[in-house]
Amino acid sequence: MSGRERLRHAAVPFAVSLLAVFLACLGGGLFLELRGKDALHAYQVLIERGLGNPGQRTETLKQMAPLLIISGGLAIALRAGVWNIGIDGQFFVGALLCGIVVPELAGDVPRAIVILIGAIAGLVGGLLWAVVPGILRVRWGLNEIITTLMMNYVALNVTSWLVKGPVRDPERVAPETKQIPLSDRLPDIPGTSVHIGLLAGLLVVVLVGVLFRSTVLGYMFTALGRNRRAAIHAGLPVGRLTLLALLLSGAFAGLAGANDVMGVQGRFSGNWHPEYGFTAFALVYLARLNPFAIIPFAFFFSFLMVGGQSMPRRADVPTYYIGMLEGLMLIFFAATVALERLWSRATRRAPEDAPLAIGAASAAAPVSAESDAGDGAVSAPQNTALSAGETR
Amino acid sequence: MNIGGIDLDTFLTAMLATGLLRAVPLVLAALGEAVAERAGLLNLGIEGMMLNGCFFGFYAAYRTDSMVVGMVAGILAALVLGLVFGVLTITLRVDQVLVGIAITIFSLGFTGYLFRDLLGGRNVSADVHPLRISIPGLRDIPIIGKALFDQQAIFYLSWALVPVFAFLLKRTRFGLNVRAVGENPFAADAAGVDVVRVRYLAIVIGGIMAGFAGAYLAVADLRIFTEGMTVGSGFIALAITMLGRWNPYRIVIGAVLFGMLRALGDGLQVIGVDIRTEFIGMMPYIGIMLALVVLAGRTALPSALGVPYVRGHR
Repeated sequence: MSGRERLRHAAVPFAVSLLAVFLACLGGGLFLELRGKDALHAYQVLIERGLGNPGQRTETLKQMAPLLIISGGLAIALRAGVWNIGIDGQFFVGALLCGIVVPELAGDVPRAIVILIGAIAGLVGGLLWAVVPGILRVRWGLNEIITTLMMNYVALNVTSWLVKGPVRDPERVAPETKQIPLSDRLPDIPGTSVHIGLLAGLLVVVLVGVLFRSTVLGYMFTALGRNRRAAIHAGLPVGRLTLLALLLSGAFAGLAGANDVMGVQGRFSGNWHPEYGFTAFALVYLARLNPFAIIPFAFFFSFLMVGGQSMPRRADVPTYYIGMLEGLMLIFFAATVALERLWSRATRRAPEDAPLAIGAASAAAPVSAESDAGDGAVSAPQNTALSAGETR
Repeated sequence: MNIGGIDLDTFLTAMLATGLLRAVPLVLAALGEAVAERAGLLNLGIEGMMLNGCFFGFYAAYRTDSMVVGMVAGILAALVLGLVFGVLTITLRVDQVLVGIAITIFSLGFTGYLFRDLLGGRNVSADVHPLRISIPGLRDIPIIGKALFDQQAIFYLSWALVPVFAFLLKRTRFGLNVRAVGENPFAADAAGVDVVRVRYLAIVIGGIMAGFAGAYLAVADLRIFTEGMTVGSGFIALAITMLGRWNPYRIVIGAVLFGMLRALGDGLQVIGVDIRTEFIGMMPYIGIMLALVVLAGRTALPSALGVPYVRGHR
């Protein structure tokens, strides 16, 4: 492949995502105008309050950490064709476990150890919550879309019960765990006011990138995600790979929970309900499931989250606008990807490293022999999950 | 009946009455989803469509004080999203899960936005006066009487849709086409069925029913709107559809069971049993998973579910 082709290869998917972002902002802006708001002013506020001064830039960088950690994990699951829609539940359980464990250790052991154990608590919490849908999937063939979703609501109730009762800080009325002393929170990156969670996030994303770029495991995940049936025929351990992808993405979601508890909140509170799951889903798709592309998109989404908080007061635009924008981006993304596929078919230039999971494959690869239903157009093998069998 | 100082009649009446009420939106949404899934469309946007039905239904009812206007508005709002889902998944053949979640994310933000913008985020209630039908004689039957025969007109209408959908799927040409398109679109196409048209009709029905379910929840049942008020009802309806294997009657069994699980809290409160709301709160979700495990292996999805149709691209 020549250098120019390689560039085109990387640039086209990226341009498609950017087009989706642009169309969503445009559509959202038109909607604001229809509702009698000043859209340009609203976007101006968004940019100023998200990036305008060093303080806000710091906030944006801090907010990147959980997005990076979650998205890195989610990219594994989605590339392997495993729909982990249970990020929020896994995040909560990881955050709570970290919030329970860390205050108990604080003061007795060096900070580095405390943080390490806190991170492990987060990983374990998220992993535990992903075990249930994982086993249901592999052992009974239950569709993980449904079970991971249901586990979110169970997590909300379980953590809320625990934090109101058994693990509540007895000295407080509010449903909260004990506070982590400032001396045991995540330290700042030297020379900045951004805590080291950002580095952890970048590390996670780079590791996931390396996983897919140069390991057999990553290759097996990708093979599984592209064509489940072919993976089964090729003798890949499909059940174990599916479970592993779900567990890894769950563990990282839990780690993100630990990051927020140790780096930002200082405790787990029953009134704290960040919902990163859907945001991360949109983010990872816009990054075309490419771990390295997650970094700029995490920055962008983080900026939207931080800037969006000032929109109600300064532009009379509810913060919900950001959620709406994320949904619009994903809807436009779906449309632009379809157009990209048409275009690549028209120019007979089907990129072999085409975006996974989304439509493109049908143009790129001749449909495999055993497919009986025009398969290849979409990675939907997991949709047969309820019929079980295949993964045992 | 009185066991251990607990008034069982009161308990059962409360459970059944609330349970049936809670089941209605689940049944409505699940009936629509059954048609969509039978045609090969897995609609994860159902949660968002319901939420749109809630907001637009509620807002229209609030502004006009008319329940009928509210229901129609809710249905239309969800219908539009159904068409968006159709264009992206049927015509443009994008992944259904991706599109469904995109629609749900959008709807969460969109309805939250409009709730703040149009209603200032206040929990106002709609002043609708639904037509109540109370059947003399029958309503006096112990335990089930009040739950079944002293309800709003729309309650009866909703349950009447169950046999209608059963008939539609089992006994009509459209139903046959829907099933053919979901099982083997190539054979259906070869037999002269317009696959694209049937799938569009199916998702339109799915959207209408999700909107109806949402509007019922916000207008007929609760008469208020709050952000994200469906709390996963759409997803539960989706699971109930799978549990009921696209059979409207079996869907009803699942929905009533989960409606009653949701009503458990009210029922226990009536008889004075104190139990943590969190345990009650997670019951329906755990129940769904358990039921899926029990029925695992005995549920078979339509084989073309989630698979876009490309003519000649076998």
